Amino acid sequence: MDAVVFQSVGKTFRHRPALFNWLGRERGGETIALKDVSFSAAPAEVLALLGPNGSGKTTTLKLISTMLLPDAGSVRVAGCDTRGDSGLVRRQVGIAIATERSFFPRLSARENLDFFAALDEVSRRERRERIAEVLSETGLEEQSDTLVMKFSSGMFQRLGIARALVKRPAVLLLDEPTRSMDAATTAHFWTTIRALAKQKTTILIATHNFAEATAVADRLLLLHRGELLADRRVLEHENADELRSFYFRMTGEIDEAALKI
Amino acid sequence: MTSTIDKLQAILRRDLLTAVRHRSGFVVTLVGVFFELAAFYFLSRAIGPGFRPGGVEYFPFLLVGTGLYTFFVMSAQAFLSSVQEAQQTGTLEVLMTTSTAPAELVILSSISAFARNLVNLAIYVFAGVAVFRASIQANFFSCALVLVFSLAIALALGIAAATLQVAFQKGSSVLWLLSSGLWLLSGTMFPTQSLPRPLEYVSRMVPFSYAIDGMRRALLEGQSPAAMSGTLAMLAAFALVLLPLALIALSLSLRRARQNGTLSYY
Repeated sequence: MDAVVFQSVGKTFRHRPALFNWLGRERGGETIALKDVSFSAAPAEVLALLGPNGSGKTTTLKLISTMLLPDAGSVRVAGCDTRGDSGLVRRQVGIAIATERSFFPRLSARENLDFFAALDEVSRRERRERIAEVLSETGLEEQSDTLVMKFSSGMFQRLGIARALVKRPAVLLLDEPTRSMDAATTAHFWTTIRALAKQKTTILIATHNFAEATAVADRLLLLHRGELLADRRVLEHENADELRSFYFRMTGEIDEAALKI
Repeated sequence: MTSTIDKLQAILRRDLLTAVRHRSGFVVTLVGVFFELAAFYFLSRAIGPGFRPGGVEYFPFLLVGTGLYTFFVMSAQAFLSSVQEAQQTGTLEVLMTTSTAPAELVILSSISAFARNLVNLAIYVFAGVAVFRASIQANFFSCALVLVFSLAIALALGIAAATLQVAFQKGSSVLWLLSSGLWLLSGTMFPTQSLPRPLEYVSRMVPFSYAIDGMRRALLEGQSPAAMSGTLAMLAAFALVLLPLALIALSLSLRRARQNGTLSYY
């Protein structure tokens, strides 16, 4: 059975101006975030979601995590529908979102992880050991007892990944996971992702980093204005530059960096 | 069950650690309690011993009224603030993706907010009795019954405020409006019989007026549960109706927010 199945999924965000703001310039309207998107991800597969800002990558991850519900079509995780069986879905999915400060600032990294692990029903006996493991995997051992209000962006990002990993999710969702990470941590993170895939975790990564996509992904999903433009395997020995030219060719966007060269 | 207790402990621990690490918070609360009680004590002295609403001295009358009112409003406010903060930081979205069902999470979080304010209420009443010599004649069983029903009603108020925050991002305004109305109608500072007849009728539909009246009778007059069965029955009825309604409303508003993508709007 596929770990994740998107079937003709549509998602539209409707905006209404704030009360009395009709006097100003704010107007109602709607944004089509996803239009008839279908794909599936097998167990142990790593999928990279590529696409410009606003293409629907984060919406895709949020739909899988049950943070959002689809307007059309269905999203299933290990056979469970995110609408009807959201509780079962949440038990299997871990998500690290791009929002850096989604933690309790006056708790340490370890205390934050302990709190979320309890809500994720990681047993008390297993918790201490599991938290030590994910802190080690994300390189946060030395900062484990530091209050997170003192954390840098990169540390927040690593802690977000640690939080997503702590319940050993069958499906791991990562939104721009290495955006604020230094080179060494990024390299270590890529190794961790491949190791997790070997342990049968399905991983979806939304990224703008072509090197990351070629380093960790088995397959690419290219989104553009809410539509799935491409769904293909990463070619053997495909490098970041080749992927970059594929991306610009498919999206029709102008690669200004290439023009300067 | 084990898992629910474990989650409650995690939430209580989070809130306790956060409160303790706001170093001045607890001291400020204690000093605030002292000044507030002093103000009510001197107000009752200024009015004089002749004013005995419901047959009790005015200072104990105020002690119970203001203590319980503050407990209701501050608990709902604390709970609402935690929802607002979670929206602003993005924690709410993440919390909604944990294995804990949203309704369970909300109830457990609100228990924590209410526990803290229950401690404040106990300190408030204890200080009123120990420092300002408020005379009490408690029937502890009646007090416990009133408190249990009051907690359920206050929980419903907190959940309703959180529902409005999730649905319209306007929980604070509604709570402010509601608390002002309750201040007037619940008999906090004066007996509701002093209100004009139409407002007095309205006050009979306000659950807090039964809670405050019940607590006064239990704590200041030592009435038994049998003697105040009518008040207890009203409190139980309010709790049984309001709590499930608030939970259903919250559940619907969370689902709507997930549908519209507005979980983290504030």
